[in-house]
Amino acid sequence: MLVRFWGTRGSLPVAPTAEAIRCKIVHALLAADGRRFGDATEARRFVDDELSFAAGATYGGASPCVEVEAGIGSYFICDMGSGLRSFGLDSMRRNAEGHSKVYNFFQSHLHWDHIMGFPFFAPAFDPGATIRIHAGHPDAEQALRRQQEEISFPVPFDWLRADIQFVHLNPGDAYEVDGVQVETILQHHSHGSYGFRLTDGDGRTVIYSTDSEHKLEKMAVEAEFIHFFREADLVICDTMYSLADSVSMKEDWGHSSNLVAVDLCHQARAKCLALFHHEPTYGDEDIQRMHQESIRYEELTRNGPPLDVICAYDGLEVRL
Amino acid sequence: MEYSFELREYAVIVHVDGRVDESSWEAFGAGLSDAVRQASQAGVAKVVINLAELDYMSSRGLRVLTVAKREGDEAGIAMLLASPNDIMSEILAISRYDKLFTITDTIEAK
Repeated sequence: MLVRFWGTRGSLPVAPTAEAIRCKIVHALLAADGRRFGDATEARRFVDDELSFAAGATYGGASPCVEVEAGIGSYFICDMGSGLRSFGLDSMRRNAEGHSKVYNFFQSHLHWDHIMGFPFFAPAFDPGATIRIHAGHPDAEQALRRQQEEISFPVPFDWLRADIQFVHLNPGDAYEVDGVQVETILQHHSHGSYGFRLTDGDGRTVIYSTDSEHKLEKMAVEAEFIHFFREADLVICDTMYSLADSVSMKEDWGHSSNLVAVDLCHQARAKCLALFHHEPTYGDEDIQRMHQESIRYEELTRNGPPLDVICAYDGLEVRL
Repeated sequence: MEYSFELREYAVIVHVDGRVDESSWEAFGAGLSDAVRQASQAGVAKVVINLAELDYMSSRGLRVLTVAKREGDEAGIAMLLASPNDIMSEILAISRYDKLFTITDTIEAK
């Protein structure tokens, strides 16, 4: 199983400003301290080994879209955020090399940041493509059609040439989709959201749980999530806010914190947690700090096997 | 996790040691509610939670603090955190709870 992150930012896509790039270059030049590099490989080694991730790269700014390579040849994609545009183009390259044109989407919910990539999803114009949109929401089709109405977008939904199907999923039921076992769970979020548990034929499991608030007064029901996350190889989790923000100013905004994600994964004995759905007001340094603090919190509260805490970024690939 | 109460003239002090995590948060929360009630009955305006002997507190324990703080606010009782050891200081900073609560160096917060 291979998990590929095409969009990791929450709520609103963002892009670094010119000043943010200048700051990175200035930082890198100062860190190099006059050093000369023989070639690009040597310079790249310096960036990879001697600069922090925030200094030498970026977490990216596309909204949620995660590809899971699993099953028997078709695509598996969680959410249609702005990262979907890049995935769509890359999949067409792979299709030209013989990949199946069957796309299995799993929609956490229908808010804009999770569907805005679909009007720019080039394979939707391919009459040879099959697009199956799995959702717990009965109004998934309405949401996708509505965002392509003339007032919002110039290309109506009915102009799309692919065979587009909507498949309703119920929490508590287990499904088999092209060689992958799929389960879903209802999450607390405005208009509801759904988490997904995908298990391939080798028994590798990834959890996609974003836009999920774990309410202060309902901590007892977290047992359902611990069971849903049980012994997963990778849990992709909404970690948009600090714990303090999630129980104060941003309570009821529908999101969770890095600390709650670590605790749920610890109890579920998951192997790896990917911090996800990054706050759009955060710069790279802010996200890196949150990542370092999450690793430290995991160490301080560990009472069992270690949990690997990684931080998702646009372009990250995780092989399980 | 174990806790005990100490009534002083200015506050109910809650001494807590061990771990406040998934196995103990409910008992800890019940204890804090009890501390708010005792403070109200005794006519003192504060509950001070002594964090010096805690091994750690997970998000469950931290969230219970928020619930208890709200109960205190409704009863006119202020909730303070006191004497955090190094681990608790770190957890309060990571969670940003140091922005939500008044934290004092000692339990003598009058």
